[in-house]
Amino acid sequence: MEQFESLLTCCVCLDRFRNPKLLPCQHSFCMEPCMDGLVDYVRRQVKCPECRAEHRIPYQGVQGFPTNVTLQRFLELHAQIAGELPDPTAGQVMERCNVCSEKSYCAPCAHCDKKVCEDCKSAHMEVLRREISRINNQIRRGVNRLQDILGIVERNTTNLQTNCGAVAGEIDEIHKRLSKALKDRTDFLRNEVDRYLATELRNLTHLKDNLELELSNIQSNCDLADKYMTDDVEWEDTELVDTKEIFLKTVEFLRNFDYEAGDYNRRMRFIMTHDPNQLVLHVASYGELNISHPSAYGGNMQQTPGLTRSKSDHRLATQFRQQEESKGYTENEEPILGGRKFGERRPPPPEKHTRDYGADDYSGYESEHRPSRRFRSRFVRSHQQDNDSDTEPTSRTVKAEQVQKEKEKVQDTEDATRGPLSGIFRLSDCPRVMQRILDVDSGKKKEKKEPPPPPKPVQPAPQPRRPPPPAQRQQSEDDEITRLKRQNKGAASSQEPDRTPSRPAEEERTSVNRKPPTPAREASSDGESDESVGSLQRTQRKNTAPAPKPVTAARRPSGSEVPTSHRPAARAPSTESSASTESSGSAVKHTGAILTIEELKAKYSNVGTPPKPGVRFFFTGNDRTAPATTNGTVSGAQRVQSRFVGSQRPAPAPAPAEPAHEDSDTSSEEETDSSEESEEEPATQRKPESQAMTRTDIGPLLARSTNARNDANDNKTKETPSQSRYRTRQSSQAEEESTPRYGSSSSSYNNRYGKPKEELETQSSLDDDSKYPTARSRYLALKERRNRLARSKSSHTGFGVGDDDDQDDPVSPTTASPSAYLAARYGSGTGGTELSRSRSSHALKSRESSPERAAPGEKDGAALSSWARYLKNKYGSRGKDRDTSGSTSSTSRRLSLGLPLRSANELASSDDDSKNAAGSPISPTAATAAVAGFAAAGSSPRSQYLQKRRLQFSVGSRGSEPGCFTWPRGIAVGPDNTMVVADSSNHRVQVFDSNGIFVKEFGQYGSGEGEFDCLAGVAVNRIGQYIIADRYNHRIQVFDPAGRFLRAFGSQGTGDGKFNYPWGITTDALGFIYVCDKENHRVQVFQSDGTFVGKFGSFGSKLGQLEHPHYIAVSSTNRVLVSDSNNHRIQVFDVNGRVLSSFGEEGSEDGQFKFPRGVAVDDQGYIVVADSGNNRIQIFHPDGTFLRAFGSWGSGDGEFKGLEGIAVMSGGNIIVCDRENHRVQVF
Amino acid sequence: MAALPRRIIKETQRLMQEPVPGISAVPSETNARYFHVIVTGPEDSPFEGGLFKLELFLPEDYPMSAPKVRFITKIYHPNIDRLGRICLDILKDKWSPALQIRTVLLSIQALLSAPNPDDPLANDVAELWKVNEGEAIRNAKEWTRRYAMDN
Repeated sequence: MEQFESLLTCCVCLDRFRNPKLLPCQHSFCMEPCMDGLVDYVRRQVKCPECRAEHRIPYQGVQGFPTNVTLQRFLELHAQIAGELPDPTAGQVMERCNVCSEKSYCAPCAHCDKKVCEDCKSAHMEVLRREISRINNQIRRGVNRLQDILGIVERNTTNLQTNCGAVAGEIDEIHKRLSKALKDRTDFLRNEVDRYLATELRNLTHLKDNLELELSNIQSNCDLADKYMTDDVEWEDTELVDTKEIFLKTVEFLRNFDYEAGDYNRRMRFIMTHDPNQLVLHVASYGELNISHPSAYGGNMQQTPGLTRSKSDHRLATQFRQQEESKGYTENEEPILGGRKFGERRPPPPEKHTRDYGADDYSGYESEHRPSRRFRSRFVRSHQQDNDSDTEPTSRTVKAEQVQKEKEKVQDTEDATRGPLSGIFRLSDCPRVMQRILDVDSGKKKEKKEPPPPPKPVQPAPQPRRPPPPAQRQQSEDDEITRLKRQNKGAASSQEPDRTPSRPAEEERTSVNRKPPTPAREASSDGESDESVGSLQRTQRKNTAPAPKPVTAARRPSGSEVPTSHRPAARAPSTESSASTESSGSAVKHTGAILTIEELKAKYSNVGTPPKPGVRFFFTGNDRTAPATTNGTVSGAQRVQSRFVGSQRPAPAPAPAEPAHEDSDTSSEEETDSSEESEEEPATQRKPESQAMTRTDIGPLLARSTNARNDANDNKTKETPSQSRYRTRQSSQAEEESTPRYGSSSSSYNNRYGKPKEELETQSSLDDDSKYPTARSRYLALKERRNRLARSKSSHTGFGVGDDDDQDDPVSPTTASPSAYLAARYGSGTGGTELSRSRSSHALKSRESSPERAAPGEKDGAALSSWARYLKNKYGSRGKDRDTSGSTSSTSRRLSLGLPLRSANELASSDDDSKNAAGSPISPTAATAAVAGFAAAGSSPRSQYLQKRRLQFSVGSRGSEPGCFTWPRGIAVGPDNTMVVADSSNHRVQVFDSNGIFVKEFGQYGSGEGEFDCLAGVAVNRIGQYIIADRYNHRIQVFDPAGRFLRAFGSQGTGDGKFNYPWGITTDALGFIYVCDKENHRVQVFQSDGTFVGKFGSFGSKLGQLEHPHYIAVSSTNRVLVSDSNNHRIQVFDVNGRVLSSFGEEGSEDGQFKFPRGVAVDDQGYIVVADSGNNRIQIFHPDGTFLRAFGSWGSGDGEFKGLEGIAVMSGGNIIVCDRENHRVQVF
Repeated sequence: MAALPRRIIKETQRLMQEPVPGISAVPSETNARYFHVIVTGPEDSPFEGGLFKLELFLPEDYPMSAPKVRFITKIYHPNIDRLGRICLDILKDKWSPALQIRTVLLSIQALLSAPNPDDPLANDVAELWKVNEGEAIRNAKEWTRRYAMDN
């Protein structure tokens, strides 16, 4: 068989014959390159390598020699028998490589767009791979930016909501105020008119009567005189004299009587103090929405290319490529990768070369391939499914392609996760990549033709804004993806950490997203007749905040009953829909809020680029004003809603008089309480769920205070309502109670303040009235206050409006509107702290009042949300809650981002929240503890290091038992802060937990797998694998997290991938392994599978040269620190081996070294060096300047004898191997 | 640098797997085209018992052109000069791509057992070899003992 084999082997290339040509001497050789290379072109002859016979070359060249057909048949036969794969290059023609110009089988290279030979191609791919990893590093570094932006966007979202809510509330208030003033004035004027009319009329009537009488008298006199003042009648003289006198008087009267027309001719005239036109104009434009500081929003939102592109990275990429890419970045018109699928070939050059790609589906691709459009259409389609009508114009294009789409479902997956902003999709979703990963991990280990996709961190950031996974997405597609993913996950544990965090969240989002449509539809069918669905949705947007909150509320750790009790409560408003239409509306608003997110998203993506915040702001503002001015009751309800949502907690003024009143008045109060309770009884029963929730929520906390009060209460059944009542009072420090009462029933109001309070009340309101006689001036005063108490305004405003809405009876001028009363209170109200306190307490109260009184549904909802918010403030910083809650609302995320973030900036909502937390009466300690905890965690590492000196504890002594060492050398920090120690002369690795408790050991002396010979360096990579520099075996060994041998690589030597006493070892974030090849005076870099990647350093003392490098560390910024021991310095390289800097020289001063060994860097970049010769630890700033040093020679605590490896734990503890003392010390 | 041609890889592998008796050829760690060669002096020759170091370099167009081979160890041989250069036809015009490293080294070993003073490179040696073969062989043995044995 061997001979048979050799017969089929060309003696020139020592390979199987390829296209064997028969020379006249009967010897055969491959045509290319063997025969080709034999040609003597000058003499046009070929010399047989076997027999040295010379033959003339035929006219057509070596091709002209006959093919050795027999041999070829044999070859085929042999291939059949041996089951060999057909020669992949069969039938190909050799060409000159366009790079190295060697003759070879060439294939097009995507990198340089030329046809190149295999070697050049692999070189190019190597270049690409390196570029990718380099760019990936850049991305990793730059991705924070995106995350920051995300954070800002989220914050802005809440701010926006808060802001708009506040403004809307304000507008509502003004509207109320204006209309009330108008009404008051109108009534007054009309009364005046009426009164005036009545008096005047009376006078005139009187006059008329008199005149009539007068007239008749005179008439009769005249008649009498005419008739009887003749001689016929005997008149006495006196009589005549008198008559004459009377007549004279009459004449005089007639002459003198003058009707004073002026008196009764007065015309009443209505005079406007202002030109009515002007006034109307004023009213018509009584407010404007001023959208200020667009920079705060706009600056963060503007789209930038992301990372500054470093020239060197793309130096080798062609111009063509760059252009294409940059286009893809800036506008979505031009899809990324020029519209190709991942891994797909670019449209082939004129000459066809499809042979190289074994992928069966490839040809299919190509025929269907349409360069542009694909991304866009898919993108658009997902919108359409969101019912976004805005996409109408573009959706036309979709239909055209939909048919074709269906064929490609599975292949399409990459589009599903495509980021809407950059067009970047998740590589791991791409079928090709999945396949690759699958291949790699299932151990097929076939030669990689493509770089293993580095986990792209880009994806998480754009996610939130990406169009939500359409609910109607084909099920099969989903299944396919998940299946593939599961496979991948199962196989590739290394890939997992990168994907899992984002994935569950996404899934949860999906599930959440699917819910809302039902309530939404409910709403529209519910017959909220005045409202269009659109406006409803718009208002929903305001409600984004509260909706997800119930979820978090459910996470409260107060027992198992909470989730169940919570649910009905959340649903309460809707179940109660019989109570009022408003409530059902509000219910919709709550549950449907997520829809709004969707809508927002749709809007975002619609615009393509993130919308200019100014525009959006304006937009919502408009929406808000519209219903406020037009609608009657419904809009009122909305207003209430939005106000609560706006996260501005109405903050009733803490009434200083109240406690006194309460104390003196206890008995009467109790009376009223009980009477109220009986009133409330039915209400309470009607809403048992919400009541229950109330109790579970705060009950335990307040039970004590309640009990104290309850002693007075014999009636057990009545306990519940009173309890909550008391709770209110108690928790809010006897705050003003008027508000909810006002809102719900006037009778209770009267009851409550029947006696002394009412007087006080009316008085103050009268005061108020007199102080601000006209609504206008009151408004002005209000405005003034508003400026002072920027925040409280909309809250108390809200109250006023809410009350007015609920109150049916007209506001009498004497009692004034409660809002006015409140306003007065506010006016006298004091500092911000008090306000914030009262605000938070109100948050409690409002929610409590709702179950008590069966208040309108929206109150319930709002109260709930406020409670949820409070809870979140309290627990929001706990990571676990955040994860499990799964609520994707921006609020929760913002909250979970942690308080400090917000306290750092001056944004309104945030400081509201933090105040809320701080001022919450129930758990001020918890809140402060949270803050304090954070402060502790966030304290600067610098100060932390400055305090380092004292030994915390030390581990081990000389020996070979577990927990003992013999010359420990390398040390590393593993997952969970475990300490991994290279117990060098015991030839084993020992693992301790963070407290120095022995966990496990592995390894023994030897040179086999999993055996060591004086190992030196240890490292633990991100997936917990142990990487050991097996010093005297001149190799690196890799162990799985359980300590089982995985692989080894390297041997003694000076070549690439060979070692001479490898010492320190470390890995970077990407899993690359850096080895200090001590006796070769260099650092070698490997992939995690042991593939040689590069090396740097050579013997010498110049910059970039090394002499006995011992230990190595890589910072989170990818700077490689090498302890250049015999040069007594630390050198800093970049990941490509370029020297960045170096510090230290020989000596014992600060910042000087004597044979430095261990080097470590913490996540802040602070550098810790085990200055072995000086027996001390030195700490440096990230820039290499000295920070401090500690330690000295000796064997006591904090003393060293020959330091080796050093490492920094995540908590900032420094662990160091104290070699000659055979121990590990922890600082 | 272009990658190593398949032929060189194959040859190297074969050299390692099936070493030729009396000949060892190890590629340099830094350059796979450069081989450290040790040839034992053939039996029944004045070079018997000696270990002769050679260096062998495969030029860029190998196998179309011959490898460059040179003795490092001093040797008394009419076809090998003081610098270690070898006068061997297959290393010159008689090179054929069908030849390999192992065949070349075998040829060199053969050359040691059969010196060819008629085609000399070291003229003085060749002269002596022709005039007084015994003397020459003694010299050769002496050189072998002196230069090729003490390591």
